[in-house]
Amino acid sequence: MEGIWYVVGFACAGISFVFLVIGLSWLISHRTRGSRGKGLPYESGIDTYGDTHGRFGVSYYLYALLFVAFDIEVIFIFLWALVIRDPIPGVLSSMFLFVGILLLGLAYAWRKGVLTWR
Amino acid sequence: MTAYWNRLSVGSRAFLIVVPALLVVGAILTVGIALLLPPVLGFLGANLPLARFAAAATAIIVVTIPTAFVIIYMELKVIAAMNLRVGPDRVGPYGTLMSVVHGLKVLAKEDFTPRGVDVPIFTLAPVVVFASIPLTMLVIPFAPGIFGQDFNIALLYFFAISGLSVVGLMMAGWASFNKYSLLGALRAAAQAISYELPLTLSVVGIIILAGTMSLNSIVQLQAGSFLDWNIWKQPLGFVIFFIAATAEANRTPLDMTEADQELVAGFATEYSGMRFGFFFFAEYVNVFVVSALSAVLFFGGWNAPFDWPFPVTLNLDPGGMGLGLIFLIALAPVVGTIILGLPFWLLSSRVSTLRALVIGFVLFNLLIVGAFMGWAFISAAWVSGLVWMVLKTFVFVFIFVQMRGTLPRVRVDQLMSFAWKWLLPAALLNIFVTAIAVSILANR
Repeated sequence: MEGIWYVVGFACAGISFVFLVIGLSWLISHRTRGSRGKGLPYESGIDTYGDTHGRFGVSYYLYALLFVAFDIEVIFIFLWALVIRDPIPGVLSSMFLFVGILLLGLAYAWRKGVLTWR
Repeated sequence: MTAYWNRLSVGSRAFLIVVPALLVVGAILTVGIALLLPPVLGFLGANLPLARFAAAATAIIVVTIPTAFVIIYMELKVIAAMNLRVGPDRVGPYGTLMSVVHGLKVLAKEDFTPRGVDVPIFTLAPVVVFASIPLTMLVIPFAPGIFGQDFNIALLYFFAISGLSVVGLMMAGWASFNKYSLLGALRAAAQAISYELPLTLSVVGIIILAGTMSLNSIVQLQAGSFLDWNIWKQPLGFVIFFIAATAEANRTPLDMTEADQELVAGFATEYSGMRFGFFFFAEYVNVFVVSALSAVLFFGGWNAPFDWPFPVTLNLDPGGMGLGLIFLIALAPVVGTIILGLPFWLLSSRVSTLRALVIGFVLFNLLIVGAFMGWAFISAAWVSGLVWMVLKTFVFVFIFVQMRGTLPRVRVDQLMSFAWKWLLPAALLNIFVTAIAVSILANR
């Protein structure tokens, strides 16, 4: 249980360190309101056009979906790696089957061209 | 009064301001420490776990600052040497203070918030990116007894926490209201999740070999000579781990997130001042953390690469000398300074007496500090462990820096297909070869 308090405490320490330094920088740096142009988004000298939070490529979603499937597999593999020496019947073959099914999914995605960036 | 002030030079004006200010601050600090220290010490002495936590948190957060400065200086100097340039050589000896000056400059710059920005998320993004650093350093064993906390799921915890920094990058890009920032953040997310899989899968071989996820136990299992390190049992795993770690730390050649030819500065385009500084502070410390993890997992962590061929034991008993010890402490600096300064005074007529004495004093101090460090290295296990660990870590940091000077940046489509079509199958292959080998050896 002590470890959980370390995690919480380190998170608090790191966050307060960042805020302390940003606060210090706020105290010693100069600040100007500037003109209208200063507050515009910097897009290489051209005024921003259209909605920024608009649509973007579908590949990002496809990679995210693949990632979710494989990341859950990773958690199972981590636990399996700890018990691999124990005399459990089928400890190897069951994981081969599990990963094999997932690899079939990867092969399907590969065949469909999802892994090629467009 | 004003006329007198105007006649002063800049230096004496600064002197007249700084010295009284220092006196006042010193007096306040002295009184404050005298009043507050005994109750605080008493409280910490009564709660030893709390004292250990405070020491660990302070040490880890304070250590990040010089680490980042050293890595930035290495980057300036090593890449300069590779480009046949001199690099920084003006500030401090051999330009060593250049990165510190860079840091102070960023601290004093204007921290501007553009219009159209989602202010709370814009401010929180560098906080999230940086806060994951001390959390990952919490589980890294630096030396026997020098670690934040030894979890039994340390490795899983490490990867879970290091994934947090992607959330910070995504927050930065989304809140910036800039198309380049958004694209940089999306690429950061796509790259990080793609390389997260090979990164986590490449260390499964080590978990199978060690039978545990605790980093302390993994280091202890590699004790012995350098032939016992995991790199010989998991060469493929190490290659995959190192490539994926380069992508996770957003380093060249795999730094699509801030590809300046394509995306201005990626997620950091709209940032300025210290909020910008924290992204790069975090990146450099991240290089250190990733290097430390590769040293721990594959290169034996704090273990020395070889045993000393002959045993060295020092049995110093200062109390046995009695009064002689007092004479030694009183006379050694004087005699040492004179003896070490004498050759310079005798051999060169250009060296004045005072200068020879200064040289002798500096040499004597170096000698004493060196002797003390050597004694600590031999007699304390944690000192030698720390030295080996830091040495190994900085070898990897050097390789990261050198890669930045050597390799060109890859294209984004090459980057993504390399992760999915090569690294992921290779990591799975590595796992199953290791698993089959271990089960055959276990059943024999």
